[in-house]
Amino acid sequence: MDALSDSAIVVEAVRQGLGEPETPVEGARLLAGGAMHDSWAADAAGPGGRHELVVRLSPPGRDDSAKTRVEFALLRTMHARGLLVPKPLYVGENVRGQTFMLMERVRGDSNPRQLLTAPAFKHARTVLVTQLAEQVAMIHRVSPQDAGSPLRVTGEDQDPVLAECDRLEVEYREVALNPHPVIIWAFRKVRRMAAGLAPRTGPLHVVHGDLRVGNLMYDEQGLTSILDWEGVHIGEAEDDLMWFCTRVWRFSRPDLPAGGLATREEWISAYERFSGRTIDRRRFALWEVLGNIRWALVTMRQSKQHIDGTVKSHELLAIGRRTPDTELEILRLLGAKGETHAGQA
Amino acid sequence: MQDRPDAAELLEAVEDFLRGQSAAASERWLRFQLLVAANTLGIVRREMLHEDHYTHEEWQRLDGLLGAQEPPAAHGAFAAALRTRDAELCARIARGDFDAPEAEARLFEHFWQTIEDKVRIANPAELTR
Repeated sequence: MDALSDSAIVVEAVRQGLGEPETPVEGARLLAGGAMHDSWAADAAGPGGRHELVVRLSPPGRDDSAKTRVEFALLRTMHARGLLVPKPLYVGENVRGQTFMLMERVRGDSNPRQLLTAPAFKHARTVLVTQLAEQVAMIHRVSPQDAGSPLRVTGEDQDPVLAECDRLEVEYREVALNPHPVIIWAFRKVRRMAAGLAPRTGPLHVVHGDLRVGNLMYDEQGLTSILDWEGVHIGEAEDDLMWFCTRVWRFSRPDLPAGGLATREEWISAYERFSGRTIDRRRFALWEVLGNIRWALVTMRQSKQHIDGTVKSHELLAIGRRTPDTELEILRLLGAKGETHAGQA
Repeated sequence: MQDRPDAAELLEAVEDFLRGQSAAASERWLRFQLLVAANTLGIVRREMLHEDHYTHEEWQRLDGLLGAQEPPAAHGAFAAALRTRDAELCARIARGDFDAPEAEARLFEHFWQTIEDKVRIANPAELTR
């Protein structure tokens, strides 16, 4: 990738997004993170004052137009409701046909390892889960009609747990490079246990769809923004609550299931306080198994991308050997005698 | 038979080299890629040392779950046959053969041992977390 031409693209994107073709743009730099997109910081220094911005560029050659517009509409809804999200300013295509989104830049960091360990963020670590629970409760108050555009629904015609099983089984057949008996057993086990669940209550609503510490911005005072709304869909609350607890997002703190920051019970009960809902712990436990299956499928898919030749990368290829880590977690959660351990601690 | 250094010694030397280069690299992307490369050689090295033992134990456990079968002697044929047995296990799970608590407990024992052995090769640090 040519760094010089990339920063020129960012400058043009800022000017196009602001509708100010002459405005000076300074300090374009690539931000860390973002598997799907390149995000760039840049400052517009026009006569009207300084704008601190982020340009999120889709990879060249990927048709991201519709998906990015859905995300943009959703961000507008969330921002208008006072959620901690970057203010979206513009979505469109640049002269090379790349889709991009222009947003206001939010203060803070998004490095999860630093959040979980650095002394400077000790206070942030104690308040963040409560702050996030309040935000997530607000997100979940958004009805499908209010989302701003049609979103995929998990559980329209059947229990969302079973709908997610269906969705993931289709994906498994697509990405598995060899048979995975643990995954097959986990699907069956979750379906059988789901038959014993109390029926879910209340209408489905917007869920973030990728709620994890790596998608949060924070500073010393705690949460500043919730990023990466690409996975947004209509579903049930447990879908978001459990993804925050899957083992891969605990980093150096496997002992604190909720994002390496708190126990499951602290996280769920904070959410219950802000949302006024009651979370069925048994339903949550099955969702957490499904979340780990979802991650196991990500590891398979990444490996497959190299093997297919889609993206040549020894790093992606090697991630396929992380599948057993996740299968081990699935076994921990489902336990020996069918008693699940999820929902504890 | 090849002369010393053996394959594991060669891999370990390259692994150490890559780890050193990773620590010395100033650029974040390169540092990470070199570390992944070193870790990958570690996986290959541990697999060479332990995989035969683990997979033969896996075969014996599958004998208990699927019925006894003579393992092919040739290495490639053995690996292919083990995959086939995994596919058979998947099919039997899906049709409910392991739904009963006692059968499920035996299946779970097999899973736990098999997956732990895989992690011991691919990411041993995970077992001590």
